[in-house]
Amino acid sequence: MKNNDNMQTMTVLTDVCLITCIVQRGSADKVVSAAQDAGAHGATIYYAQGTGEQQLLGVLSVAVESEKEIVEILVPSDYANHIYEAMFIAGELDTPGMGVIYMTQIEKAATYMPPDVLMALREQA
Amino acid sequence: MMAYQKIRFATFVQNAWIRHRSISYNDVFKIKQADQTIGLSLRKIDIYRLVQPYLQTRLLEQCRAVVPLVLYLALFQILVMHHQIDQIWLVLSGVLAVILGLMLFMEGLKHGLMPLGEGIGHSLPRKLPLPMVLLIAFLLGIGVTFAEPAIGALKTAGSIVDVTQAPYLYAMLNDWAGVLVMSVGAGVGLAVVTGTLRLLNGWSLKPFIYAALAPALLLTVYFMMDAELSKVIGLAWDCGAVTTGPVTVPLVLALGIGVAAASGKADSPLSGFGVVTLASIFPIVAVMLLALYVTSTTSAEAIIAIASQPTIAAAVNLPWYETSPGQEVISGVRAIVPLIVFLMIVLKLFLRERVHHVAITVYGITLCVLGMIIFNLGLTFGLVQIGDMVGALLPAAFTGLDSVANSPLYGFALGVVVVVAFAWLLGFGATLAEPALNALGQTVETLTQGSFKKQTLIVAVSIGVGFGIAIGVLKITFDIPLAYLLIPAYAAALLLTYFSSEEFVNIAWDSAGVTTGPITVPLVLAMGLGLGSAVNAVEGFGILSMASIGPIVAVLGTGLWVQWQANKRQHLLDDELTLQENGT
Repeated sequence: MKNNDNMQTMTVLTDVCLITCIVQRGSADKVVSAAQDAGAHGATIYYAQGTGEQQLLGVLSVAVESEKEIVEILVPSDYANHIYEAMFIAGELDTPGMGVIYMTQIEKAATYMPPDVLMALREQA
Repeated sequence: MMAYQKIRFATFVQNAWIRHRSISYNDVFKIKQADQTIGLSLRKIDIYRLVQPYLQTRLLEQCRAVVPLVLYLALFQILVMHHQIDQIWLVLSGVLAVILGLMLFMEGLKHGLMPLGEGIGHSLPRKLPLPMVLLIAFLLGIGVTFAEPAIGALKTAGSIVDVTQAPYLYAMLNDWAGVLVMSVGAGVGLAVVTGTLRLLNGWSLKPFIYAALAPALLLTVYFMMDAELSKVIGLAWDCGAVTTGPVTVPLVLALGIGVAAASGKADSPLSGFGVVTLASIFPIVAVMLLALYVTSTTSAEAIIAIASQPTIAAAVNLPWYETSPGQEVISGVRAIVPLIVFLMIVLKLFLRERVHHVAITVYGITLCVLGMIIFNLGLTFGLVQIGDMVGALLPAAFTGLDSVANSPLYGFALGVVVVVAFAWLLGFGATLAEPALNALGQTVETLTQGSFKKQTLIVAVSIGVGFGIAIGVLKITFDIPLAYLLIPAYAAALLLTYFSSEEFVNIAWDSAGVTTGPITVPLVLAMGLGLGSAVNAVEGFGILSMASIGPIVAVLGTGLWVQWQANKRQHLLDDELTLQENGT
């Protein structure tokens, strides 16, 4: 294929991990701010409904909202563990009913890339 | 010499930060399958972590609703009226009881009553024929009215009314109190039935508003002619505002939506609207009909005679259930238990369905009853006290009162301005903070595709309530007959309704019901009664009814304006397009 000047270019990001954290409604903010302190750039939050193992808590299960917030954050794989742990601790996920967090490999991602960042990368190489 | 060991800083951080342990989910699953009871113990810290935010958010939610209002009233009394709060500790604990009671009640509603109501709403229309569904809907309307927390305020208000000045009003609030709530409930029940039918057939709301308001206004005119009956008008119109609270609205909506879903009508965004409107108009007619019945069966003299007679004898030793804490306990139980029993009967006998999560349902019902009792106590000692106190002080701003030193405090003209400004701000502020209004605003913004902004609706409703309460206070202060205010206001609302589109009609008439919650109603009711007795008015009702019609007119007006703006923009756009077409 001929490299045409008119052709649009797309920068594909590799080494990306997706961290998904499901918490009770109202708890997403603290999870996101912990992730951002640990270096995450952005976050997507959406609302959902869901339950975990109800019998585990007995009557205490009324204290757990079935309304959930789902936090999704794309992170560089080198920092993924660090951010993942920060979110785990901020969300107090070692308490039953608080939620769940998981991380998946992303094959590739693409978004706006600042031109000066691309320049700097080219110089490094 | 020293030996160097190289560690990557990132590796160090990762290891120092948190210890990792990997387990296969397969193994966990196998262990759980083998032993169902495993893993049921909780650490203390877990319980704390679970319970602390649970209590905190719910407590703060109620604090946000109650504290600013109470603080506003208290500061007004101390700073503007220069008067100390009597029995401050009693009032303070009453306010705390209101917060606590409302918190428990709302939580109980969520776990106890709502799942039952939703279950019935969901499966009732599938299993029973329509007439049966409508009958149950009607009975449910009565049940929810009794369970409405603000209804208790009506009964408390009854004890302030002077029997010799307004005997029929006194009789309806005391001897006939149960029947009064029953007829309000019947009005709500009828509204649920008509609302459900409307939903099923997709009828427009407008004719219903005309048809429901016509008898209400005609009866008002008739009552106005009669010296005794005219004192009941305020109560009747206020009852409409009392009914649409935190129990009625969600339960009735759940039923309505269930019926609509079962009939295959995809629930349109408007499907929930309208029932609230009818539920605030029908009770007005019901209460006026009851007043007619009371006047036809008993004479004013008989009521006065009965009321003045037993007070001496009864004051000596009242049974425990008629003195303060006992009475609230009884009324709390009486408000909730019949509704629960009714819901249970419907669920078990007619639907033959099991209650899921029995423990949690029981927990919810217990909280409901407990919350209602504590709320009722708080109502008697906190909200009604404060409202009554402020209301009784208000006239001191512009006239001389025996109870207040150096009154009038501000001279006549300035004093009246102070009172009106106070009332306006009270209505405006209380409505602005209403969480239900925020939710309605959101619905409206989506419904109108953003042309009617959420903030516009909230401000319009708040301004409407502000003027409503201000006018209501003026009504009591200068003893203006309520009918003179209601008839023109509703005539204006009807006129605006005629010109508005169906959506705005639904939104506007429902917004009135949203504004009168369990905190505003007792406060405003008590304030009106206190004010009324301070200026020697016959009765202090009517503020709530003005606070209901205010937002209706305000929202309808704003709606027409928004529409007009949108049309104008569309015309401009069209003109530009034609110009462009001509140009090219």
